[in-house]
Amino acid sequence: MMKKKLGIILASVLAAGTLLSACSSKDSSTSEKGGKNGEPYEIKWYTIGTPQKDTEKVFAEVNKYTKEKINATVKMTQIDWGDWAQKSQVMINSGEPFDIIFTNGTDYVQNAQKGAFLAIDDLLENEGKALKEVINPDFLEGNKVDGKLYGIPANKEVARQDVYTFNKRLVDKYNFDLSKVKTLQDLEPMLKTIKENESGVTPIATFKAPLRFDYVFNNEMPFAFPFEGDTDTVINPFDTDAAMTQFETMHKYYKAGYLKEDAATSKDSWPMDVENWFVRIGGSQPYADLLWSRSAKYEVVSVPVEQPTIVNDSVSGSIQAISATSKNPEKAMEFLTLLNTDPYLRNLVDKGIEDVHYKKNEDGTIEDLPARIESYNMPSYSLGNHFILNLYKEDPKDKWEKFKEFNASAVKAPSLGFKFNSDPVRSELASITNISKEFYPALATGSVDPEEYLPKFNEKLKEAGVEKVLKEIQKQHDEWKSSKE
Amino acid sequence: MKRILGDLYKNRIWLLMVLPGTIWLLLFSYLPMFGQVLAFKKFRIHPDGFFASVMNSDWVGWDNFKYLFSTNDAFVITRNTILYNLVFIVLGLVAAVVTAILLSELVNKKLSKFYQTGMLFPHFISWVIGSYFVFTFLSTEFGLVNNVLGWFGKEPISWYSESKYWPFILIFMSLWKGIGYGSIVYLASIVGIDKTYYEAAMIDGASKWKQIKHVTLPMLKPLMIILTIMNIGRIFNSDFGLFYQVPRDSGALYSVTNVIDTYVYRGLMNLGDIGMSTAAGLYQSAVGFALVMITNYIVRKVDEESALF
Amino acid sequence: MHPAVNAIISVLLGIFTLVCIFPFIYVVIISFTSEESIVRNGFELIPKEWSIDAYSYLWSMKEQLFQSYGVTLIITIVGTVISVLMISFYSYAISRPQFKYRRFFTFLAFFTMLFSGGLVPTYIVVTQFLELKNTIWALILPLAMNAFYIIIMRTFFLKSVSESILESARIDGASEWRIFFQIVFPLSLPGLATIALFSTLGYWNDWFTALLYIDEPSLVPLQSLLMKIEANLEFMRQNVDVSLMQQSLFDTIPQESAKMAMVVIATLPIAVSYPFFQKYFISGLTIGGVKE
Repeated sequence: MMKKKLGIILASVLAAGTLLSACSSKDSSTSEKGGKNGEPYEIKWYTIGTPQKDTEKVFAEVNKYTKEKINATVKMTQIDWGDWAQKSQVMINSGEPFDIIFTNGTDYVQNAQKGAFLAIDDLLENEGKALKEVINPDFLEGNKVDGKLYGIPANKEVARQDVYTFNKRLVDKYNFDLSKVKTLQDLEPMLKTIKENESGVTPIATFKAPLRFDYVFNNEMPFAFPFEGDTDTVINPFDTDAAMTQFETMHKYYKAGYLKEDAATSKDSWPMDVENWFVRIGGSQPYADLLWSRSAKYEVVSVPVEQPTIVNDSVSGSIQAISATSKNPEKAMEFLTLLNTDPYLRNLVDKGIEDVHYKKNEDGTIEDLPARIESYNMPSYSLGNHFILNLYKEDPKDKWEKFKEFNASAVKAPSLGFKFNSDPVRSELASITNISKEFYPALATGSVDPEEYLPKFNEKLKEAGVEKVLKEIQKQHDEWKSSKE
Repeated sequence: MKRILGDLYKNRIWLLMVLPGTIWLLLFSYLPMFGQVLAFKKFRIHPDGFFASVMNSDWVGWDNFKYLFSTNDAFVITRNTILYNLVFIVLGLVAAVVTAILLSELVNKKLSKFYQTGMLFPHFISWVIGSYFVFTFLSTEFGLVNNVLGWFGKEPISWYSESKYWPFILIFMSLWKGIGYGSIVYLASIVGIDKTYYEAAMIDGASKWKQIKHVTLPMLKPLMIILTIMNIGRIFNSDFGLFYQVPRDSGALYSVTNVIDTYVYRGLMNLGDIGMSTAAGLYQSAVGFALVMITNYIVRKVDEESALF
Repeated sequence: MHPAVNAIISVLLGIFTLVCIFPFIYVVIISFTSEESIVRNGFELIPKEWSIDAYSYLWSMKEQLFQSYGVTLIITIVGTVISVLMISFYSYAISRPQFKYRRFFTFLAFFTMLFSGGLVPTYIVVTQFLELKNTIWALILPLAMNAFYIIIMRTFFLKSVSESILESARIDGASEWRIFFQIVFPLSLPGLATIALFSTLGYWNDWFTALLYIDEPSLVPLQSLLMKIEANLEFMRQNVDVSLMQQSLFDTIPQESAKMAMVVIATLPIAVSYPFFQKYFISGLTIGGVKE
């Protein structure tokens, strides 16, 4: 009697649950397996960025086009910038069924290693043939994980180039000769002049002393291949003379008051449009100065720190991956191919509908209409191929040519394409990350004396097993190297 | 069998009362608990969904737990976590009870209500914003405290790199955020005390202090014990924002601000390993569980009425 | 109480109250500070440049704000009613000596306080098993019960509802349900008000469930909107290269002052609702007194 009652109640609670949800979740299972002959397949696509008001409107147009071209429709959902990391990871780990997802950097590598994404090498030979032809081969090569490719990188600048960016007004005022600037040390006389004469300007917009290595994880973690000399042996970059020199210089600058006192823990983002800085450091791309000057509303000028370099990080900045849970990976690939090769579709997804979100000028350039900023402001970098995007009226005419030149001029980092599998040394890495977080920000901003703290840092790293990790990286690197030959 | 059914029938009204809650607990707490096996697995994703992923991932034994014990830092984080929590439990309890009693004794009831509302404000301020606030006081350049020190001709203190001050700052901030919320439950409890007890005490000529000592505190005792037992269960957990945001993740302070939760957060940043994070959670829960069982056992020996179960 | 003692206590508590309210006043000040002033001088108690930009920004997104207010109100009210009912049934049952399995059910609830399911499995139960993603129930149900509240409420019932009162009602032939609603409920008003208050605060402050289960902007509650701003600012800080290259994109993301303005409008209504709950701390007492 009791049991029966319980059963009924349990069943009705569950039924109520499904009923409630049925009202709102519309996705039916009928469209799960569509093909050329059947119903159009609905591609579920998750990508980064603030959800826009006009997404539905634009994708109605997108769907008209894709239905005709590849017999598929696209349901694109954006997840806000700050929510992305956590939410996308929960979705991936839970094995939720969807087709395409944005990813980048170490997230891409880890998820590929975990089996979250589909290896697309075969798809790229078939459905993606046209795509393979347009995309810079360094992107495809550099993003291989254990010999396989797990996503379509956005075809744009392939290399990374750090530059020192200066406030041009101050450079002109004091007649600084920027052509002499090559290293961190070369900045000193300028910083001194600024500090002495310009109150209200912090000479250095907080940055970390550049330490040029080919890092395995990121520049906080003590594992890197040198760019010069023995480029095949992984070392601890903080256990080098170069590190001591850079950190000492930085410490000198810090003591002289060229940086803010709270530099090590600072959360300031130094927006360009506030003119309270003299020099900063950042990743560049062709015509970056123009872009920055425009948003700053005063002029800035940059000097490269390094030659454009293709590193693992620079090729994996923006990738659209096909999920292992995709019900129809072929369709997903067809869509990604179309998106990256068809200028109409690419511009539609990126800029919105012509004459609604933007208007076209006679010379083929475009201008945003207010509706784009308000209701369809999409991040170009995350969506795909840049070279088929319409140029804005104020863009230089040779923008994409300059990008291609930039890419051609880039050198490849020694470990490009090497993806470390951290499984054998996970515990060591967990404690090493903690130690790096403890010392690196303070040392790299010059807040502490490297004479005292750098040896301490390295000592602690040793205790935490840095040698073991280096050995493991070397082993995997050698295997990777020999498999390439 | 028949006896069990008979018992169930006899208790049907009570069973019906716990039914909705039980269904909820099963669905939202117990059903997801199978995920805890991930602590012993190397998580790999399977296209057929999470359950398949869990089943197909390899067992790795205690591997996922190693990083919690392997280095010198393991000692520091465990020590910090336990010590801070002990202080929070004791001071938190004393402060909440004292505040509640004082608030209830205030003659001006309007004022008392205003105070209560005011003390609840910190509960609404997230630690991110709380950390801005602390920074306004402690910033080396513009900080108010250093300004005041300047007036007295004292050297400014670089607060975010001097670890010796931070245990006090963190304890103060924890109390600041917790007292208002923590005292509510005691206030409600004091209000529920039968007035006749106090009348009887007054007839006996008991002073206010005696009344508190002999009526209020004993009446609050069960609640105090239960809440303390529950806090002991979370002795290996900490308020992440307090230890991460408020010290602005300053490396120089790690020796006194690094606790298990912040260590795990930083440690897994470059790994994103769900097995290892599950392991950390399981470790915290298991220790808490053991401590609660022991505490409860002791409480039951001393005073059966007050025990949790 | 001696007037002098009373005065001293009043002053001491007053100082502490000030310390508690002060940061909120500070938040209000920052919300009226110009963004440029924040970048140049950091947060100040007396800003060099005042501005109401933050509030005009909020006004420009008023549709989303009102929508989110509505969502927050609905989930808070519906959620609190559901949780108070579920929690009080459950804890009343486990507080009664007649209930043979009370220890088992106490343990059943208590155990979930220490051992949780973890993020991903819970996500699967909600999205795949109950299929609640992008529904308002996804914001209500996952927070409806809480072992901590159950245990507190049980303590209240144990203490304030003695069996002797109930016995006489049972002899009169009242059913347990009638007893519960007509005698137990009024007797435990302070406790119920406490749980209702905790639950209200819990729902009002919750943003994490929305982060997990809601993609539709029309279902995003107020706190979640606030946390999105916070998280987006953090993203911009950590990805300076992206944010500098895509300036136009981030121009529309509100900055610190707007965030503080959000805190103000998200906090004030709930903070001033506290006296409403306080009322029941008093009335519970009088009813209890009458019954004796």
